Amino acid sequence: MGWFSSGSPSPPLPPKPADPKPSSDGAYVAPNRTSRALCYEARDAFFECLDRHSILDPITDKSAADKACGKLDEEFEKNCAGSWVQYFKQRRVVEFKKEQTIKKIEAEGGEVYPPGRLPPR
Amino acid sequence: MSRPCLAISRTVKTLRPAAGLSSELHASRFLTRPSKRTFTTSRSSNFVTRQQMIEYGSLWKARFERIREAERQKVRSFRTSCRSVTAQSSRAFSSTPARLKVRTVQQARSRYLSGPFSMAAGVLFLIVGAGLTIYFRLEKDRLARKRIAEQTKGIGKAKVGGPFDLIDQDGNRFTSEDLLGKYALVYFGFTHCPDICPDELDKMAVMIDLVKNKCGNVLRPIFITCDPARDTPAVTKEYLHEFHPDIIGLTGEYENIKQTCKAYRVYFSTPPNVTPGQDYLVDHSIYFYLMDPEGDFVEAIGRNFTAEEAAKVIQSHIKDWRGYLDKK
Repeated sequence: MGWFSSGSPSPPLPPKPADPKPSSDGAYVAPNRTSRALCYEARDAFFECLDRHSILDPITDKSAADKACGKLDEEFEKNCAGSWVQYFKQRRVVEFKKEQTIKKIEAEGGEVYPPGRLPPR
Repeated sequence: MSRPCLAISRTVKTLRPAAGLSSELHASRFLTRPSKRTFTTSRSSNFVTRQQMIEYGSLWKARFERIREAERQKVRSFRTSCRSVTAQSSRAFSSTPARLKVRTVQQARSRYLSGPFSMAAGVLFLIVGAGLTIYFRLEKDRLARKRIAEQTKGIGKAKVGGPFDLIDQDGNRFTSEDLLGKYALVYFGFTHCPDICPDELDKMAVMIDLVKNKCGNVLRPIFITCDPARDTPAVTKEYLHEFHPDIIGLTGEYENIKQTCKAYRVYFSTPPNVTPGQDYLVDHSIYFYLMDPEGDFVEAIGRNFTAEEAAKVIQSHIKDWRGYLDKK
């Protein structure tokens, strides 16, 4: 997607937020609020691009996703930990299927309640 | 006053004569027979002549007429008692003294028109009705909460929760004993959680402040990691600091965490052997567990609750608590 970006050289990249940093006792700290926000932003941009190109699953449709939104995918993977990228991509499919199921049930006249709460009496 | 009276008198008119008549007739039959038997002649006492039958007939007719006349009289007097407001002594079916004290004809007429209703009675009725409705509704809610608390309070051993031995974010030992005295809001998660845990912990922070404002310092928020390999006390401390300073973050040995998760019925899928810096996710249940000051499980609050709703649930349970509660 290089032809969409402006001609100016990209600013120097901040250190990859997904990189684990050691904490005072040697273990690696978890991503903080800022790095999480960066990750979510990159994810949303990538998923929005997939929506535009009607690609649901970027894992099975990897070639199509790379072709359409490769640059954003790179950004996404740079800003999020590998496990998160995997998780969000899988979750996108799960969420879509869930929505479809709920729509189907509601079209058939059923009602879907969130788990844990009883339907109103 | 007039309409109910008329209705009553009408029913009396339709019901009483028949009832009275049949009982009278039965009585007359029983009365006449023994009188016949007193003449102990050779004739059978059951034998009745034609002359006697005619006599009986006229006797019944006369009785019937008498009873009817008496009933009519009763109805008539009842009606007049209903109509004449001042005639209190003739109220046939009431033994209570009349409350009605009417001085003028206008008063009597307005009484007659409005019946037993008045403004004061109406207002009183509405106030009492509204009061009772509100009371019963509150009482119903309270009983529902009590039922949940009682239901989840296991008999003997607690069904959810139990003893644990972990380390807090400052490296000090923290056991289940340290939970006692206050309500505890327990959440299981891990610091490398992509999206659900941070959202839930943000909600937890709002809940903590809401409950604190309403009920005082009676809630101990606890975060227990499901990922002890990566979540050391220092990591947990740094992570939780972003959400709320009150949250106590607990970690520990793999076995201790596993046992705690089992006690709280938390699904737990952390691999036992991971190298530092390894990138993986942990599956875990996402409920807030509310525990009472005696360490017993009260209620699980799911993701579908907003922070405000969850805070309300917690506050109601705290208000229901009658035992010891540490407010320091």
